[in-house]
Amino acid sequence: MTAAPDPALLARIAPTELRPGEDPVTRFVREARLVQTAVEVTTRDRLAAAVTEALRAEGARRVAVAADLAPLRYEMAARLREAGIEAVRYEDVAPDRDAVRDLDATVTGCMAAVAATGSIVTGGAAGRGGALVAPVHVCVVERSRLFDGLLALLRALPDLGAASAIALQTGPSRTADIEKTLILGMHGPKAVHVVVVVDAPATPAP
Amino acid sequence: MTTLRPDPLTTSTFRERARAQLAKPFLREAVPKATDHAVAALRTRFADHDYEALRELGRAIRAEAIADLDRHLADLEQALVANGVRVHHAADAGAARDLIRGIVRDAGGRTVVKVKSMATEEIDLNPALAADGVRVVETDLGEYVVQLDGDRPSHIIAPIIHKTRGEVRESLSRAVGRELPDDAAALTGVARAQLRDAFMEADVGISGANFGVADTGTICLVTNEGNGRMCTSLPRVHIALMGVERVVPRMTDLAVLLPLLTGAGTGQLVTSYVNLLSGPRRPGEPDGPEEMHVVLLDNGRRALRGTPYEEVLHCIRCGACQNVCPVYRQVGGHAYGWVYGGPIGAVLTPLFRGQRDGGELSQATSLCGACDDVCPVKIPLHDLLLSLRRDRAAAGVAPRGERIAARLWSWAWAHPATYRLSVRLARAASLPARHPAVARRLPLAGRWAAGRTLPRPARRPYHRRLR
Repeated sequence: MTAAPDPALLARIAPTELRPGEDPVTRFVREARLVQTAVEVTTRDRLAAAVTEALRAEGARRVAVAADLAPLRYEMAARLREAGIEAVRYEDVAPDRDAVRDLDATVTGCMAAVAATGSIVTGGAAGRGGALVAPVHVCVVERSRLFDGLLALLRALPDLGAASAIALQTGPSRTADIEKTLILGMHGPKAVHVVVVVDAPATPAP
Repeated sequence: MTTLRPDPLTTSTFRERARAQLAKPFLREAVPKATDHAVAALRTRFADHDYEALRELGRAIRAEAIADLDRHLADLEQALVANGVRVHHAADAGAARDLIRGIVRDAGGRTVVKVKSMATEEIDLNPALAADGVRVVETDLGEYVVQLDGDRPSHIIAPIIHKTRGEVRESLSRAVGRELPDDAAALTGVARAQLRDAFMEADVGISGANFGVADTGTICLVTNEGNGRMCTSLPRVHIALMGVERVVPRMTDLAVLLPLLTGAGTGQLVTSYVNLLSGPRRPGEPDGPEEMHVVLLDNGRRALRGTPYEEVLHCIRCGACQNVCPVYRQVGGHAYGWVYGGPIGAVLTPLFRGQRDGGELSQATSLCGACDDVCPVKIPLHDLLLSLRRDRAAAGVAPRGERIAARLWSWAWAHPATYRLSVRLARAASLPARHPAVARRLPLAGRWAAGRTLPRPARRPYHRRLR
């Protein structure tokens, strides 16, 4: 009979864990960029501007904003509209497949993120498709939701709230099925922007 | 076992299939190139980590799961049901097909989107659904091309490793009815648009399962393309077909098994999408299926417990043993004749399909042990292959010539006089037989000697020096 893996041992042997003394934000940024995620580290007062800039850079005009961004969501939507971007609520478009198809981008929060792997964890109020169905995904990560490694995340899952489905998303959707040529955006987004907010949390920490 | 597609295993020999594959120049270039890539990626991934120690943890978790399989499966079922999942049990391939056909029929399913799954290949699901008038669309890019061509995947995680970009272009051009450019990005874009239509129309999504987590009632599904999440987000019904051996006791076990699976499979730290699916859509969620079904497939798995082959149930289907196998790298996956190729296929095929049909695959190996060294959960594949060779001899299914030769050899080497005679004959033959033209004509050993450079015999045999 084995028990759950020992965190100290796993940290020494698994590349999906943080090394002792390693800074989580630095590692997260490095790993996320290694898998073609665009990452920006910012503060709360700059957040809406950072999201707007990311959407503008991708040329997104019609954007769905997910419920898990609350209570930032309405402020964010207002700022997007000021910038000339049409912002709708994801749960309003989700049932209509044509409307989903017309989306240029989605903006979501996340349930958690993993420093060692550069992953974001989506689901729950953002749904299964919130971070998936559009060609561009912008994700807001609160520093307080950043876990060191995979084991810490998996141990904390029961406390993150009941969701029927969650996904660890690491970089854009990708395939290398044709002669090993890497192509981004096979089914999910071809561009993923993560904005890490490093000051006081807007929502309770997990 | 009934198969609805032509069954190469019963209609041809490994030698015939291998020869046909070896005649394809691209295959001999592409497979080693692609598999080298995977092997190098694995080395890089674990360059400054203790892969050995992680493998040992992985082995222990898989051994624990299989040693008490029934209890973990009972826990899994209970937790799945508590999550609102309907659980079904399939004793064999036919039962699994009928169960899934029934669920699709009850759901009024007309279009099914599928996530790549070796278990659904094993039960030959797609032709059965098609016979019911259901449109089945494979959504993994490689599987989609395989489906368009009426082909089979030739690698556990890289289904079209055997196809050139030109061949993919031809298949997709035929599907959309216009000439497409010879460019991987453009081809991928066309496939994306085609498959997007299928996702939007689909009533049912069907997936396999990389792991079934017993303590939380969760199906773990690992993909890079995002099709796993699409198939389990948009359609009204999700069905997951899971081999019973894929159960793991705890969610935290994935902290060990995921880096092993993706590291050994593709050299990634994690794949782009790791889906943890614990039931149908809940109140307050904006999307997700109304129904989730899990079909637990036995199909010969439980019967392997307590046999010398129990450890094959530890397999997590990463494909690493294929990548390093000198036989697979030359002949590719189709030469093996059934669903699984490479060393794991050479073990699973005789076990699942029987010695008569699959037994010769235990010969499709050099016994070099590269598969043992790379397996992320330390399955002793080459011991299992040796054991299967012994079973094959006992079953008496080998060709007559081979059986007579083996019996003669065994008798001769059990008696000192005939042993010495055989050594003297071998010495006399081995110098001229270093020439390939002579080697091919050697009695009994011609085939064996033709592909080898025979060693130069010692001036004085060892047993004489001992005197």
